[in-house]
Amino acid sequence: MLALLLLGPAVCVPATQLVGQPAPDFALRSWDGANMRLSEHSGEVVLINFWATWCGPCRQEMPLLDEIYGKYRRAGLVLFSVNLDEQSNLEAAREMAKTLRVSYPVLFDARKEVSRAYQASSMPLTVLIDREGVVRYVSEGFKVGYETRYTEKLRELLNE
Amino acid sequence: MLRQSLLKITVTLLPLLFAAGPAAARDDATAPSETAVQLADSSAPAPSPPQGENFKSLDEEVQALKKEVLDLNRELFVLEEELLFPANTQVAVFVSMDVGEFFALDSVTLKLDNKEVANYLYTEREAQALLRGGVHRVFIGNLKAGEHELIALFTGQGPNQRDYRRGATLKLEKGVGAKYVELKISDKAVKAQPEFVVKEWE
Repeated sequence: MLALLLLGPAVCVPATQLVGQPAPDFALRSWDGANMRLSEHSGEVVLINFWATWCGPCRQEMPLLDEIYGKYRRAGLVLFSVNLDEQSNLEAAREMAKTLRVSYPVLFDARKEVSRAYQASSMPLTVLIDREGVVRYVSEGFKVGYETRYTEKLRELLNE
Repeated sequence: MLRQSLLKITVTLLPLLFAAGPAAARDDATAPSETAVQLADSSAPAPSPPQGENFKSLDEEVQALKKEVLDLNRELFVLEEELLFPANTQVAVFVSMDVGEFFALDSVTLKLDNKEVANYLYTEREAQALLRGGVHRVFIGNLKAGEHELIALFTGQGPNQRDYRRGATLKLEKGVGAKYVELKISDKAVKAQPEFVVKEWE
């Protein structure tokens, strides 16, 4: 019990603590087979969205993110959608992204290394990274209206 | 850790340098008037130096200080690497490519004594850099003297766009001094197949 109490705060570090820190770099395979590395997009505003097939709010959020992506990609927005399903469930994840008709790159983190680095303990998790590669905004979960917050923050970062 | 603290020092120092610039400029700006008071007794007052020159010399000083900080940063980086990976136990693995007509590299997984030590995914840009002669250090670590086994697993696309997975094993004899291993991917034109060569550098 004591060990749990002592270890608890160290293990359950909230993702919001990443704000102001350099974004952990990663490389992941995308659904079209190409590998993508975060650091290759230095100088651009990056939005990372962590999701899984078992997450209901993710299903609600993804089409809205796609709208945002469609609107701001020309202004320099890069969006990585990181799926956290198990290796055995990747086909279902692919199918879900296809059904939702998302146009942004979907990456697979079956080894869970990236989700650990971003402390993704709740789904969905949305992270905004500025042109300098610093985490500027983290949002856990999704409720209707959150997309407006993302847009506001994005516009700020794109204008910097 | 050392690097992080160094970065903190650099980040703290640089604004100080910039702040010191105008402050020192103000000090220098007041200096000629004091000189003028001291020299008031003499019949011919000395002309004060033009302010532009003061700024120029200060700018040069700031630039010199900045250069010193950068040099220090570089020295500490080398020191950090020497401390973390002493030459006696150091082992480094590099990946290089030659031609690459029969193989498009996707990832390299390294196992040392059956323990995965590196798994690197190459983006298209990185693979292109390797084809242009770049060498990538995929792993650096410490290994005690003795015999070790290094397994390298390459994945990618082989001839006719087929998924390709190939392993290469090397028995490493780690003695005194750093050990460098090169994993070279080249084309075997006769067989129209890629070739994976593991080469040791002393």
